[in-house]
Amino acid sequence: MTTNGPRHLEASIGRLLTIGTYVSVGLIAIGTVLLIGSGRSPLDAAPALDPARLASDLGGLQPTGFLWLGILGVVATPAARVAAALVGFARSGERRMVLVAGLIVIVIAIGVAVGTAAS
Amino acid sequence: MEVGLLMLVGGVATGVFGSLLGLGGGVLIVPLLTLAFGLDLRAAVGVSLVCVIVTSGASASVYLQLNVANLRLGMLLELFTAIGAVVGGAVAFLLDERLLAGLFAVLLAYVAVTMLGRARADRSDTPASDEADDHASSAVEAGPDADGATLDQAVAGPPTATDRLSGPGYTVRNLRIGAVGSVFAGVVSALLGIGGGIVKVPVMHLVMGVPLRVSTATSNLMIGITASTSAIVYLIRGGIDPYVVGPTVVGVFLGATLGSRTAHRVDLRVLRFLFVAVLLYTAFEMARRALGIG
Repeated sequence: MTTNGPRHLEASIGRLLTIGTYVSVGLIAIGTVLLIGSGRSPLDAAPALDPARLASDLGGLQPTGFLWLGILGVVATPAARVAAALVGFARSGERRMVLVAGLIVIVIAIGVAVGTAAS
Repeated sequence: MEVGLLMLVGGVATGVFGSLLGLGGGVLIVPLLTLAFGLDLRAAVGVSLVCVIVTSGASASVYLQLNVANLRLGMLLELFTAIGAVVGGAVAFLLDERLLAGLFAVLLAYVAVTMLGRARADRSDTPASDEADDHASSAVEAGPDADGATLDQAVAGPPTATDRLSGPGYTVRNLRIGAVGSVFAGVVSALLGIGGGIVKVPVMHLVMGVPLRVSTATSNLMIGITASTSAIVYLIRGGIDPYVVGPTVVGVFLGATLGSRTAHRVDLRVLRFLFVAVLLYTAFEMARRALGIG
């Protein structure tokens, strides 16, 4: 393993976090402008997340579409970082770190299962 | 419209304060949303988790590119914080709101006391420990060869698992205690909507022997997974309000950016004492809520 490998991985993951965070916050910012511009209060009852309506809400410039897509982006970015690390560790032959990254993905999946089972 | 703008301004203020004082937004956002905007505590925690992921993502990306955060150690420990976050996320919906408010009051008082201690430590500066930390930090930036790690490894034989998690200038120890502390940090994060840095940083620095700057940077990296694991549980259970998330997240993001650019111009000692007063007042209000008199 060279010293350039891990450093390259860390820089790549850093860039992934930057892009994920800025794009997600950008979407949330658009949703916020549309929300405030429409005269609605953030304390009004908000519609629940409905993945089937996401595309039509975005096309119709509905604040909910942008807000939900941005929130999904925010929540998914750290998981994408772990997936990217898993691939990077696999390429550099760090089997223990591949195992750790794989276990984190499994724990996140358990989180999804716990949330779904209880809702 | 007014409420949206007030939330945005409140988010900016918490972002600036959090960034200047090295706190994640959660400690400030939850009281802001519950006490100023009347949100119930669980809804505020859901919003706070999203804010915490955003601020940690922005700063962790910088720390990673500067090579200050320890990616391998962070990932090993975040496996345990994620487990704690799943447990905490499941339990949070079963607990009484007043109990959560009581826990939050204790957390705020703890942070206030910790900040007072830090302010005192600043006054009686300890150059020796700063020097050690600077040495570790510059060694981290310079890379593994800077401290002759490669030569040491050649003499001592192949690196152990702990060696691989260590960095130049420091050796990680007490991994088991670190794992237990990380599970606890995950539970606290999910219950109270904070990043859990107030648990992770002391555990890494004081118990595991990781330099303070590396601990802070690595904790920032871990916060993303900790908070997103609990946020997933909240999201699926309908515990995240997108209308409140909007102005709050945008405000916190702008505030944190502003805070990091103005940090060098602000007298942090005065700010810390002011902030301790705010924390103690907020702890008092949360305690009143917990006792049913707020």
